[in-house]
Amino acid sequence: MERSNSWRQFKAILRKDLVMELRTKEMVTSMGLYALLTMVVYQIALAEAGDTFDVRLVMPGLIWVAFIFMSMLGLNRSFVHEKDQGCMDALLLSPVDRPVIFFAKFAGNLLFLMVVELLSLPVFSFLFLQGRAGIGNPIWLLGVVLLGASIGISGVGTLLATMTVNTKGKDVMLSVLFVPLMYPLLRAAVGATFAAVIGGPGTVQTFWLFMAWVAGFDVIMVLVAYGLYEFVVGV
Amino acid sequence: MEETARNGLAVETRELTRSFGVRKALNNITFELPEGAFLSIFGPNGAGKTTLVKVLTTLLNPSSGTARVSGYDVVNDAVELRHHIGLISHNPLLYPDLTAEENLLFFAEMYGLKDPKGRVNKLLADVELDHRRLDVTGTFSRGMLQRLSIARALLHKPDVLFLDEPYSGLDPHAMDILDGLIAQIRGEHTFVMISHDLDKGLELCSHALILASGKVVLFEERQNIDVRTFRETYRATVGTGVA
Repeated sequence: MERSNSWRQFKAILRKDLVMELRTKEMVTSMGLYALLTMVVYQIALAEAGDTFDVRLVMPGLIWVAFIFMSMLGLNRSFVHEKDQGCMDALLLSPVDRPVIFFAKFAGNLLFLMVVELLSLPVFSFLFLQGRAGIGNPIWLLGVVLLGASIGISGVGTLLATMTVNTKGKDVMLSVLFVPLMYPLLRAAVGATFAAVIGGPGTVQTFWLFMAWVAGFDVIMVLVAYGLYEFVVGV
Repeated sequence: MEETARNGLAVETRELTRSFGVRKALNNITFELPEGAFLSIFGPNGAGKTTLVKVLTTLLNPSSGTARVSGYDVVNDAVELRHHIGLISHNPLLYPDLTAEENLLFFAEMYGLKDPKGRVNKLLADVELDHRRLDVTGTFSRGMLQRLSIARALLHKPDVLFLDEPYSGLDPHAMDILDGLIAQIRGEHTFVMISHDLDKGLELCSHALILASGKVVLFEERQNIDVRTFRETYRATVGTGVA
């Protein structure tokens, strides 16, 4: 009797999601377009602020509002494929431990989210920071906060998207559950991003304080999502 | 079969009940199906046929009672049991954005097949889809999807094959092809098929079961069934509000 192997199954699900996304570009396109349009709207909103206005003061909040709503679009799309033609049933019929499905979908969502976030930042910088004061601290700190917050967004989002994909009005349902749960992470991510962008004495320490908050959220929420996933897809 | 108590039975249920809120979709279902049998399950819409198959294929947990398939308990041995069952549904259960080959290779990986490529090549040839292996299945006709769905369900050589209205939506030619495929593999598996078509179901089966309102109205070997009496029982079940 041939036996399945969790690592092989994880790779197969992740590879399948990557192939489908590369072929359809549904998630990345919808998220990227949303991010771009949001930034255009931000630019219009800040058009009358004048040259003396320091955009860096509001930049962290603007970025994370865009990323949170953008991620909901992508998370919804990530399970529509599984719902089509009963594919989720076929996946659940195979001898795969449910947490393997969770971690594979989580990894895929994290990857797509990070790609769009990393592509969005230069656009944001081009639209808002040209000719103004730059990032106050080393730019890699922004990468750290992007990764940390995206782990939490993808972990919780993957669980909630699985829960809501079979519900009527899944888009609304996901938002209603997702945004309140994201509040602590969003607050910490904005704080860390602010510290990274503004720079100056003590901001690096503040940054790592907020990142500890982000990391704590990630560990707790990903473990909770992992623990609940079997129940959510089961029964 | 290793470490299981099959006792020559492919499916064994004892007072199997599944509730959704206060409604009992399955109500004390008890029957035994021997290995190699072909069970046709009949019943009106809402009788509990699909719920029964979902419980037997581990997609739903029972609320009470027990069920064993291929010797494995559907709750306690679910992961192991999934190596031994396959499902062909009216839904193809295939990813429309993957090619035929990619779909089968993906599921071959999920089942941990040792030679996934070789098995996929053989099955694509068996279902006569070799020439469309590199086409995404979103472009396939209903009949082609159903043939590929059969290949997917047979990848891991399951002991018990569940068919949930497999003829639904097929044109006569596709039905003939499906008949031929089932005839080819008839001796290698136990079959459990949901059908609304009494003629087709009775033609194929060795055992028949009528479900209504989640209860077993009739469970009988085909050789003991008088078709006229069976039809009357079925009509009475559907028509008198039992269902």
